[in-house]
Amino acid sequence: MKRIAFYLLFCGLFSFSSCSLFELDNYDAPSETLKGEVVDVATGEPVLTDQGSEGIRVRLTELSWGENVTPNPDFYCMADGTFQNTKIFKGTYNIRIDGPFIPIIREDERGVPIADETKTVEIKGTTVVRFEVQPFLKVEWVGEPTVTNGKIKAKVRVTRAVSEADFQAKIEPMGGYSSTFLNVTDIQLFVSYSSSVGYRARDDRWSSKIEYSGSSFNALLGQPVTIESNGTIPSGRTVFVRAASRINYDTPKGSGTRRWNYSEPVQVMIP
Amino acid sequence: MKEYMKKLFILPVIGLLLFSACNDLDIAPKNVITDDDLMTNEAGMEIYLARMYSYMPFEDFKYMAQWGVNYNSWLGAMGIEGTGEALNRDGICTAFTGENTPYWGQAFTLLRDANHLLETLPKYKNNFKEETYNHYLGEAYFVRATVFYAMARRFGGVPLVTKEIQYPADADKLEVPRSTEKETWDQVLADFNSADSLLLPKSPKTGYANKYVALSFKSEAMLYAGCVAKYNETVSGRLTGFGQKTGVRVIGFAEDEWQAASIKYFTEAYKAAKKVMKDGGYSLYKKKWSATDKDAQYQNMVDMFSDLTSPENIYVKEYSYPTLTHGFDAYSAPFIFRSPLASGTCPTLDFLELFEGFDRYPDGTIKVTTGNANNQGNYIMYDKPLDFFKNAEPRLRAYVIFPGDVFKGKTIDIRAGVYTGSAPINPLFSDYSYNNATTLYQHLPAYKQTPKTLYLSPREGNSQETVSYNGTTMTAGGENGPFYDNGEACLTGLYDRKWLNPDPSFVAGEGKSDQPFILMRYAEVLLNAAEAAVELSLAGVSSPDDDDLLQVATDAVNQIRERAGATLLTSKLTATVDGRNIVRKERRKELALEHKTKWDLRRWRVWHYEGRDGFWGETRNKDLYSNSSRFRFRGLYPFFSTATGKYFFDAHFQWVSQKTFEYNIIDYYFAIPSGEVSKSLYIDQQPNR
Repeated sequence: MKRIAFYLLFCGLFSFSSCSLFELDNYDAPSETLKGEVVDVATGEPVLTDQGSEGIRVRLTELSWGENVTPNPDFYCMADGTFQNTKIFKGTYNIRIDGPFIPIIREDERGVPIADETKTVEIKGTTVVRFEVQPFLKVEWVGEPTVTNGKIKAKVRVTRAVSEADFQAKIEPMGGYSSTFLNVTDIQLFVSYSSSVGYRARDDRWSSKIEYSGSSFNALLGQPVTIESNGTIPSGRTVFVRAASRINYDTPKGSGTRRWNYSEPVQVMIP
Repeated sequence: MKEYMKKLFILPVIGLLLFSACNDLDIAPKNVITDDDLMTNEAGMEIYLARMYSYMPFEDFKYMAQWGVNYNSWLGAMGIEGTGEALNRDGICTAFTGENTPYWGQAFTLLRDANHLLETLPKYKNNFKEETYNHYLGEAYFVRATVFYAMARRFGGVPLVTKEIQYPADADKLEVPRSTEKETWDQVLADFNSADSLLLPKSPKTGYANKYVALSFKSEAMLYAGCVAKYNETVSGRLTGFGQKTGVRVIGFAEDEWQAASIKYFTEAYKAAKKVMKDGGYSLYKKKWSATDKDAQYQNMVDMFSDLTSPENIYVKEYSYPTLTHGFDAYSAPFIFRSPLASGTCPTLDFLELFEGFDRYPDGTIKVTTGNANNQGNYIMYDKPLDFFKNAEPRLRAYVIFPGDVFKGKTIDIRAGVYTGSAPINPLFSDYSYNNATTLYQHLPAYKQTPKTLYLSPREGNSQETVSYNGTTMTAGGENGPFYDNGEACLTGLYDRKWLNPDPSFVAGEGKSDQPFILMRYAEVLLNAAEAAVELSLAGVSSPDDDDLLQVATDAVNQIRERAGATLLTSKLTATVDGRNIVRKERRKELALEHKTKWDLRRWRVWHYEGRDGFWGETRNKDLYSNSSRFRFRGLYPFFSTATGKYFFDAHFQWVSQKTFEYNIIDYYFAIPSGEVSKSLYIDQQPNR
């Protein structure tokens, strides 16, 4: 009996033999916060977008891992052009954003850097960053949208937020330049019951679009363009609408994702 | 004390025993098989080849696009990956934008087997006749070419592991970075060429490759390469880029080399296909075919998929009950045969519209009403559902079970509902556009109001709604549905027939099927030759042989059309996009539901919104079935009208288990598995991700 007790004690001792007995074997939960905004360098206005993989993408790369780093999972700006991530590990990060604006990281065809306006910051507590970019387009409402027989009619004005010359000066050195990049290809009218209306939260029944081939939109730049919703929205409902437009240029280059510049959302009552 | 003495004596004796071995243990273990066992005789080589073949990335009954290459026939279905061929109720029915098991790690295992054979077999050369020895080397090159091809069409440039890497070794000797996409396709070409020159003209054993198998797959691979080089240019952003770690152009082609590369690959595709046509001794299957009998043409094309003696078969994956089986019939047969599942492959109306024998609206869609669009006029009435299909192309009938047609000795009853309103009948919806796709029959006032005029069933059996008709009780849905609450019955109004076992005495079940899968057949070689010929003509290149390119293409298309019972081309194809599209459309029809179409759509770069007008091989307005990156497909739903005792058809977006697909430009190159990228200093992620 005594011997058994002795063995038990011995075994018990072994089970406590790990290196740091009284230390909690765990890593602190990620709790640092990164806040950011994306604004038009010319006007200081936020660059409006849609929350989803067609919106402004935020990519963090933690740099303490040495040479072979892979980015953190991407996240996306909110519709108002700001972003916030409250679950980040403490560390030094490179922050890169991609969206409907002149790419902030530009390389030539052989991968030689031309410009790099990404930010490398130490994220600790709450870190705030501000990206000043040159959006491709500015999309605004002209007057209030009107409703007749369950159809919303809106006037939209699309102007260039970056001049053609400036666009060419910055994009051409990246190689494979074509003047067709500047063509405005479409205007969208997104309709949804949700106030977070946009490409992702659109309702296919009512959203509509106008497509423009070649450079045919150039004459309409700065002009109010009328766009009407599809189908019939039931009366008595409240919907939200947003207009968006994009040029024939994908960001990041080669992804084929042509991102839209957006207008503010507007609430519309259907009488 | 005595005890102690005893121990003192015993312990050294035991100790001595431990040292008593006098011979080194140097006997070859009998359970480890070595090169000496395998590579010295043909039986051993068969084992070596069998292992390689069982890990080949072939796409047959045991391949599911969403899952990737994992050799599993569970839920077996065809053409459900957003290609428009067919639909399925489950999550597996999603656009081909990646594979759950990326074809990466297992590829390198198989490459190692092939490289080991290539490097080791020369030591044993004297054990074989020279042609057999060469054939084995050719098999290894064929395996390697197939693996590199399977990887290239998924990822673009891949690590070209062309020798057996000795392990253990320093990390920098073990790692091979991705090559450029061009180098990768050149390696595919080189390996197929080696296989072609080494393999015997006839397979020495069933299941082995041969010269013409290699050439046929070479023509398919080179067509892919030529298209990537050419059609990447049609995609916004030119679809090319450099790896971040290595600076290598891992996807796409340089601006000054794509044109020459595409011509080179199309030329190789053309020459390889022509060689098979000239010397291979294959021909289209026409055992029951008759020029005048449409039923014979139909039956001929049903039989050809299970006849192992078919002269059309170039390369076949055979199955044998009960040792090597699959379960296609258990998952994709009509609902009345469910065992345990059914309806995995329901062809779409959009697919049906590729074929001849139907009346059309001015916009080319199939006519179901007397008006100019399916929301105008009144429904056209038919005595029985099969009358709608009486002029259908025999090939379509061999691929698709129509409502009311016979399968396994039973009439396949498919009925969406019963309409009790008066005739003539106006279209059930006023808006059939994409925007209105989610408004379904059960949302219609005709169904919801009382008294109602439209009867539909949520499920089979006791859940069927019934209607009294001529003194009998009629169920709203057919025996096979569709039922609006049960995705296990028919989804689109149509069923797949291709690959199903047509034998009425066959009882389906999981692991009970053993029909062969034809991985390569002569019809594809003809279509490869035709497509390469038209592409070369479009590029303004003169014929690589003495034959007129466009005549070759025209003849190839006509051979296939004749066998299919379709209308022949009366004039020679032209070197235009229209001419090319005739070949593409023929390919989409002939090779449908064979795991081929998804690759065609990828290489043509017609899956993303901007290119989607070319999705059907012919030009069709993409906005009819898509909205930006998303798209849907339609069904053809038969209804019975009690007022007339006749049937009418309604063309509507998928009614049951609605699926929306999404495809974007980045999906043309699958992501490299992120684990491989993060653990390596050399492996690059796709630059556009």
